[in-house]
Amino acid sequence: MKMVAAGLQNEESAEIERSRKVRRGLLLAFGGLLALMIAAGLDSLWSLRALADAEHDVNTRFSAHTQALSTVILTVHVYHEQMERYLLDWQNAPAHPDAADVVNSGTEADMAVQKYPADLDPQEQLLLQRIQTTLAEQESSFAPAATWAAAERQRQADQFIREQIMPRRIYILQVSRDVSSLNDRRLVEATQLLAANVEGIQSRLVLMVALSLFAGLLLSLIGGFYILRLEQQGRRRYQLLVASRQELESLSGRLVEAQEEERRSISRELHDEVGQSLGALLVDLGQLSNLVPAEDGVVRGQIARIKSTAETAVKSIRDMALLLRPPMLDDLGLVPALEWLGREVSRRGEMEVDVHSEKVSEQLSDEVKVCVYRLVQEALNNAARHAAAKHANVSLTQSADKLSVEIKDDGHGFAAERVRGMGILGMEERVKRLGGTVEIQSVVNKGTTVHAELPVPRVEHA
Amino acid sequence: MRKIRILLADDHKLMRSGLRVLLEQQSDMAVVGEASDGREAVALAGSLKPDVVVMDIGMPNLNGIEAAHQMTQSFSEIAVVMLSMHSDESYVLRALKAGAKGYLLKDSAESDLIRAVKAVAESKSFFSPAVSKVLLDDYVRKLKRSGAEDAYDLLTPREREVLQLVAEGKSNKDIANMLNLSVYTVETHRSNIMEKLNLHGIPELILYAVRKGIIS
Repeated sequence: MKMVAAGLQNEESAEIERSRKVRRGLLLAFGGLLALMIAAGLDSLWSLRALADAEHDVNTRFSAHTQALSTVILTVHVYHEQMERYLLDWQNAPAHPDAADVVNSGTEADMAVQKYPADLDPQEQLLLQRIQTTLAEQESSFAPAATWAAAERQRQADQFIREQIMPRRIYILQVSRDVSSLNDRRLVEATQLLAANVEGIQSRLVLMVALSLFAGLLLSLIGGFYILRLEQQGRRRYQLLVASRQELESLSGRLVEAQEEERRSISRELHDEVGQSLGALLVDLGQLSNLVPAEDGVVRGQIARIKSTAETAVKSIRDMALLLRPPMLDDLGLVPALEWLGREVSRRGEMEVDVHSEKVSEQLSDEVKVCVYRLVQEALNNAARHAAAKHANVSLTQSADKLSVEIKDDGHGFAAERVRGMGILGMEERVKRLGGTVEIQSVVNKGTTVHAELPVPRVEHA
Repeated sequence: MRKIRILLADDHKLMRSGLRVLLEQQSDMAVVGEASDGREAVALAGSLKPDVVVMDIGMPNLNGIEAAHQMTQSFSEIAVVMLSMHSDESYVLRALKAGAKGYLLKDSAESDLIRAVKAVAESKSFFSPAVSKVLLDDYVRKLKRSGAEDAYDLLTPREREVLQLVAEGKSNKDIANMLNLSVYTVETHRSNIMEKLNLHGIPELILYAVRKGIIS
């Protein structure tokens, strides 16, 4: 028993350890899943923001460059216009630009080139340098022309414009176009890069979602499986419990049966062997006594003493046998046996017992008879010995399919819920084994009522 | 002289042989058979037709009370002396209801057996003195508890006479002859007695008589 208990305890602690592990694992897994989902969300958020920033940067750079380039083109155009007008408008009309104006607009064009954003790639830088150089050449080529008088200008203008201005003007325009197309290309490239980034983010997001989904699915599966296993375990344990309880019940039932059988056999042994031998001895002693002459008082006295001893022995053996297994149950049936029991208790002077019965069949099974007899015996014993009752009432009623037994006493009672002696447990055990019920109601100072109901199979009367 | 033919029924050989020795010492008695259980006793009673059956109550297969019942149902001339260890009313009443004429305690078998056999052979009843005492004690205690009067005091002298004769096993006609009464009057007395004493049937009446020491 102890070993079994220790084993159970070990198993139980192992079980607790295992379930703790599983719980920890599940917690970790769910935590991981949550972290994964949060990470995926944060990552995509961050990536989207970075993307938006990059796009903004690209757009800003493009528009800055385009604007700067426009300014360059515009100022260079103004410069050349000024120069041409200065050279061609030799009549000195009002609002006619003079040489200083030309130099100024040249300087403005230089400034515009210099103001071009600094974040240049090498190709752009090269192109800008070309513009700058060409502008510088233009300025230096214009320096002698600035001093020309009107006639000189009229004479030289066409040639100067054709040879010095136009080629440079065209060249600068070409280079500017190159810069513009370079910028356009850059923009396209950056946009493509961004698009590639978006695709990267998208595929990462898809991966993350898929991963989370998969992990969640896996976790749900594992969790579900674990729950199923727990449920199965619970059911198995419950079955085990039920089985062991049934076993226990049948064991205690068998115990009661074995006890009754043992009592019966001891009783029979006492009654049949010892009792009968003593009885025969008494008969023989009587005959012996008759053989002894009446005058022989000594021998007769001796025989009388032996006889009295034997009688005492017979009586105590009989009492013992009666207690172990009342032959009344077999000889007379249940009700007379109970009446005998009641009178026996009354005779001993313990308390007065009344027995009433109604319609009790004489065809009761031995099991039922013994059960009821022992129940009443135990109840009366409790009432007389422990509750100091003065009077007890036993009543039996039989209906179609059950036998009701009630034992009521006027003793001082006890707390029925708390006090559960072996006797009461034995009573309950016996009755329960036959499919009946026992109810014990006890009120302190008001007495005790034991009420039992036993199923009785219907007996067909002829 | 015709001997009283006796059948012994007891599941204990020792007891039977003891009883047999006691009975066979009597010149007017003969043990004609022995049975070791109730069924055998009923069978032997049928085949041997004994005058008296001395039978133990507690026997296997068929107990003494049932066996007595069957015998007296089939052969009313057989007188049964019940042999018992118990002096309780339950036993005595059951034995009487089964038709036993005598009730002998095993304790006193040795001293009372011969008297018992003789009594029942003469159609009288016999009860061990110890039985009467126990019955009386129980009765008195019960009366005292319930505070009731002994209904015996309510009986008229004539009714007491009739009670005794009925208990002794006399028929209404016998009683009428003995007391110089009509059978009808005896019947009236009888039912009055039953009513006053609250008795149901002859066995209870006999039990009452034994208890009161009216018969033994």
